[in-house]
Amino acid sequence: MTLSLVLQALFAGVTNGIVYALVGMGLSAIFKGSRVINAMQGEFAVIGAMTTVLLLTKAGWPYPAAIAGGALSGALVGAFIEVAFVRFMARKNASEDSFLLLTIGLALTLSASVLFFIGRDGHLLPPLGGEGVLIILDAVIQFHALWLIAIGIGATLALRAFYHRTTIGLSMMAASIDADGAATTGINVGRMRTFTFVRGGLLGALGGILVTPLIGVDYQLGLNLTLKGFAAAVLGGLTNPLGAAVGGLTLGLVESLAIIGISSSYKDVVAFSVLIVIMILMPQGILGRAGRRGG
Amino acid sequence: MSKSSLIAGLIGATSLVGLSALGVQAQTSGEPVKIGAIVSVTGAGAGLGGPERNGLLLAEKDINAKGGIKGRPIKFIIEDDASNPDTALSKANDLIFGQKVQALLGPSLTASTVAVGGVTHANKIPQIAFTGIGPAVERERKCVAHVLPPQRLNATALLEYAKSIKANKIGVLHDAGYGNVVMAELRPLADKYGVKLVAVEKFEIGATDTTTQAAKVKAAQPDAVFIIATSATPFRNVKQIQITQPVVAAIGSSSYEYVNAMGPAADNIVIPEFVVGEDPLPHQKAFVELFKQTYNSTPKNYEAAAWDAAHIIAAALNKAGADATGEKLCEAMKAPYTGVLANYDFSADDMTGIPLSSFIFSKLVGGKYTRTPFRITQ
Amino acid sequence: MNPRILLWLAVGLVVWAVIPFVVPRYIADLLVFTGIYTVAGLGIGLLLGHCGIVNLAQATFYGLGAYASAYCTVMMGLPSVVGFLVGAVISMALAYVIGRPILRLTGYFLALGTLALSAIASALFFEWDWLTGGTLGIGGIPKLDLFGFLLDRPSRYYFFVWIVAFACMAVARNLVDSRTGLMLRAMRDSSTAAAALSIDLQALRTKVFVVCALFGSLAGSLFAHHASFVSTQSFTVDRSISFLLIPVIGGATSIPGIVVGALFVTFLPELLSKLGDIHQILFGLALVAVVVLMPEGLVGAFGKLRARLAKRGGGNG
Repeated sequence: MTLSLVLQALFAGVTNGIVYALVGMGLSAIFKGSRVINAMQGEFAVIGAMTTVLLLTKAGWPYPAAIAGGALSGALVGAFIEVAFVRFMARKNASEDSFLLLTIGLALTLSASVLFFIGRDGHLLPPLGGEGVLIILDAVIQFHALWLIAIGIGATLALRAFYHRTTIGLSMMAASIDADGAATTGINVGRMRTFTFVRGGLLGALGGILVTPLIGVDYQLGLNLTLKGFAAAVLGGLTNPLGAAVGGLTLGLVESLAIIGISSSYKDVVAFSVLIVIMILMPQGILGRAGRRGG
Repeated sequence: MSKSSLIAGLIGATSLVGLSALGVQAQTSGEPVKIGAIVSVTGAGAGLGGPERNGLLLAEKDINAKGGIKGRPIKFIIEDDASNPDTALSKANDLIFGQKVQALLGPSLTASTVAVGGVTHANKIPQIAFTGIGPAVERERKCVAHVLPPQRLNATALLEYAKSIKANKIGVLHDAGYGNVVMAELRPLADKYGVKLVAVEKFEIGATDTTTQAAKVKAAQPDAVFIIATSATPFRNVKQIQITQPVVAAIGSSSYEYVNAMGPAADNIVIPEFVVGEDPLPHQKAFVELFKQTYNSTPKNYEAAAWDAAHIIAAALNKAGADATGEKLCEAMKAPYTGVLANYDFSADDMTGIPLSSFIFSKLVGGKYTRTPFRITQ
Repeated sequence: MNPRILLWLAVGLVVWAVIPFVVPRYIADLLVFTGIYTVAGLGIGLLLGHCGIVNLAQATFYGLGAYASAYCTVMMGLPSVVGFLVGAVISMALAYVIGRPILRLTGYFLALGTLALSAIASALFFEWDWLTGGTLGIGGIPKLDLFGFLLDRPSRYYFFVWIVAFACMAVARNLVDSRTGLMLRAMRDSSTAAAALSIDLQALRTKVFVVCALFGSLAGSLFAHHASFVSTQSFTVDRSISFLLIPVIGGATSIPGIVVGALFVTFLPELLSKLGDIHQILFGLALVAVVVLMPEGLVGAFGKLRARLAKRGGGNG
């Protein structure tokens, strides 16, 4: 095993880890604000990326405008889902499980819709920073991946600041922790939940647009991203977007190190076994009790 | 495209390529001859089933335009198995016992084919599968023909090409499904060809990143890289980490769908396959033209395989009688057949009889297929 | 027993016995699958309805049962009953060994734990192709032979599958009505209170998990002998998710609800596929509609409707 191979594995692990982290952060942000596990978080990514692809190639929009349009589409779908379904079910005091199943149903519907209306072809988007690469010791990393890492870190910090520094962020947290208590202090709990879904959709769509130049997007991508994002979020303690970022990176690195250290055949076996062990040994998530206080 | 313009296009195309030499469309009448078909239009195998359905529909019109089965129209009843062998089994039961079809075409995927074969074999219903022969049990099923090569033949074609470019050290990147099956055939053959497999790396179906596996292949410094998969991801990753050796891909990733998703990474990939729509062989021209006229797109291997299967069953019915089914129809099928995809011989032991000489080798240039001069002579 | 109930039972029994002979073969085939999915769904229903556990690993045990039957009969030439037993023993042992640590997790962590288990098993089914045949699978699994009576078509196999399903329902009913069931519900509704009564949570949950695995394995063996063919595609995470839908759609706490849920997941995609390529969108929407409009599942919604009608009838009379 050469140093260059290890470095290449680290590059791949960090890049994939950021992809998982972006999805996981959206999942945990929605969970934090609504106690809903959103099994269609990966579909937000597909919607955002597909809209951007269509605006760019079919409508001929400039790339930045197409990205904005794609991100907006995620936010709109998020708002629609909250207003059309979640609000109605919350009024009937639906259980946590039924919210999970609602989002599974929506994920199936959306994925099938993309297949039916747009087709089964995979699409790419142009990378930020062009096709350029950085080469260290024969190991290669795309400029786009570096951008992705920078934006991922930026998003994590912005989300943290949002919860701790802004009134609306604090209100959202309050509304999710104790809805009745928040309502008595004049917080509109329903509207906070709508905001939560708008932001979850926005974050998911942006994540999807950002990863498309690296991994491509097609109608089947959603479930795959959701599973990995879910794992990242749970590793991080579920209610903590910062934890989800750490969880995503852990998962990405374990996967790629398993490939060079053990065997590519057992990558998933190793990654998911580590996941189970971490959950059992660290029931509060990787960041522990401190991380649970919120990110 | 509207129905009338579709038909108009079809008629135009048929006369253009001289399929109706007398200039008169043959009329069919009477009860349609019902043939069932199961394809994967949705799910993981959609990349195969969609093209196959197009090939079948085109063949149905072509056969009926040429007089159908002894004057009676042929009707393909096409069902989607959603890439799931259990669903394929239910559909087969429906087609055979509910709709009373005389023969069955498909399914698209090996697992579904083996599952459906259990019913067709037990009830002596002739079947033409859009897959190569699978596990050992299929050797007993002498009434299940195959219109795609067995994986052993695909593996041989890859090695033949490696030999032609004098590549002795090969790195392989393959997926856990289709790739695993081809790999199982490739390992023993490699010794025979004096080829050393210096790195064999696997990734899961639907993987979004295979960079680390590709890096391991790169580190082994092979002369050429084989990629055996049904997705665009490994092709992109190989180019991303700047592997400069020749890349040879198995037929599984030969569709436009995957090539488009590869983007610029598709350049210079070589694929042993059968149909290059941009530059068809003389006997493929009529089919390719008709397909282009009708669907406004270029056909590949799976469209041609389905087209062939449809014509094979029509030829057998014309030979054995329009109401023939069971062993009588089976026997009529067991003969050599010159198809668009390949030259078959269904009396062969592998129920397909495709020779290595039917393979052509295409190279991707600017996202388009070009036919290379290399062929295997036997 | 109430004579009216007895009458209904008799009518139900006659209908059940006559159905496979009057419907087309492919409907009988779907009814066989309904029976198999009922067995698999019962276990998930027990965990979900009585322990509040979301089990996303049922495809693992379903796969173990199917591969045990396939390997024992095809590769080793052993009688079918050995396959059933081997599958059941391995599944229960595995459920016990991994159940102890995994079931210490709660809520979504446990859901992810079972999901991870399903992903690991699915990867191993692909990887260990000397045992499972990988993607090519194992074909030629013999049809069951009951004392010389060959169950080689859906209308015959139907009876065998459904008798197994009814037996499993009886086991489930017994478990629910027993002391264990009572303790389970106490634990689901207030685990702290249950712990105060010194109920051993872990042991109880593990016990139900083992029963769930047993049902999953039985369903897998039944499937192997019906399809005559098993391959990795039938035992992926997607299958685990669709198994979970069965109790949720029907109603997790109701045993007849599981049958309704199994009917839903086998028949609805079939009916919708007649409408063309749009069928998968419609299935997703149907699922959303059930979850949003009938939070207690189809059976719960039916019960509510009946109660409302009875009330109205009473008011008029």
